[in-house]
Amino acid sequence: MLKRALAIISLLLIGYWIAQGLAGVPFGQDRMLVAQYYLDHVKEQTGAVNAVTAIVVNYRGFDTLGEVTVLFIASTGVGALLWRRKKQRTAKTEGSIVLTTGTRLLVPFVMLFGAYIFIHGHLTPGGGFPGGATIATAFLLLYMAFVQYEIPHKAFEKVEGAVGVSYVLVGLIGLAIGGYFLYDWIWQDWGFGVDNIGRLLSGGFIPIIYTIIGLKVGTELSGIIDNMLKEEVSE
Amino acid sequence: MNALAAIGEALVLIGTFFYLLSALGLIRMPDVYNRMQTSTKSATLGSLGVMVGVGIWALGTDFGSAAWLTKTVVIAVFLLLTNPISAHALIRAAYKSGIPLWEGSVVDKYREHLEAGEKKKAETPEASEETPEEGGEE
Repeated sequence: MLKRALAIISLLLIGYWIAQGLAGVPFGQDRMLVAQYYLDHVKEQTGAVNAVTAIVVNYRGFDTLGEVTVLFIASTGVGALLWRRKKQRTAKTEGSIVLTTGTRLLVPFVMLFGAYIFIHGHLTPGGGFPGGATIATAFLLLYMAFVQYEIPHKAFEKVEGAVGVSYVLVGLIGLAIGGYFLYDWIWQDWGFGVDNIGRLLSGGFIPIIYTIIGLKVGTELSGIIDNMLKEEVSE
Repeated sequence: MNALAAIGEALVLIGTFFYLLSALGLIRMPDVYNRMQTSTKSATLGSLGVMVGVGIWALGTDFGSAAWLTKTVVIAVFLLLTNPISAHALIRAAYKSGIPLWEGSVVDKYREHLEAGEKKKAETPEASEETPEEGGEE
């Protein structure tokens, strides 16, 4: 009781403190310094209509590389923590026939939609991370509906590694051509798709990077699901 | 305001009305199964009304285009396909985890079916294990 009261009081104090800090921030006023630069120059400099993905991939691509690395480490960490010599699914009951049929019907559409999200990252909201998470959702559906489903491990792990390497490779090509890491050579040097900003074939290397990230995130989250759903079996 | 916009507004109104009904059903009904029954059905129908209504509404305005209707119809079809499946899975999980029916319920055929299956299994354990019925009808 005393513990809980103390926790509530301290939380209220912290909340009041944060609210005091936020009270000085002028919301709704035009206080943009860097953001205004992004908004003004995003189309000519990156070719993307979606300013968020342009910032995430182009202006601050290094952060995205870091996030992908974090995800990769998380996946590897889960794999290392739950490592067993022999593992199997523990699902005792199959999903009902409505669920399995629905899953069979829906999984291709979910995957298609995931691919749509990450391919259109420079045009519509979303990008590689939501698209990859959607694709992982499709595999989660398969895992949930069927007793015996297993992702194709060989292909998955290869894709995971290959796309991770290709992200760094794209950055290194930029380094070789333009002089710094993650330089957008497709847009800045080739001017590919200059005439059709707002259509699919534009946006410099944002679609390429986001396809890479989408595949990476999708395979990694599916791998985490796969690891977590399995238990050791005694021979 | 033209006819398309008016139809769209009417559909959105009907949809929100069904949303309200589903929320009411969630409060009003006595047990999990009745609540799921009222809420999922009317929420699905309400969403369909709202979504297709928004699409048609956008056709009637001067800034709207056919892309709106296409998008909303795609979302509506997806929801129409997924919502009943999720409701089914939820209900089935609720029943399997032993949540009782409303005390006013009269008949529980599924329990009878399960008990008959268990009896059969107890009599011939090998036969029933070798042929697990698809859909987990145990």
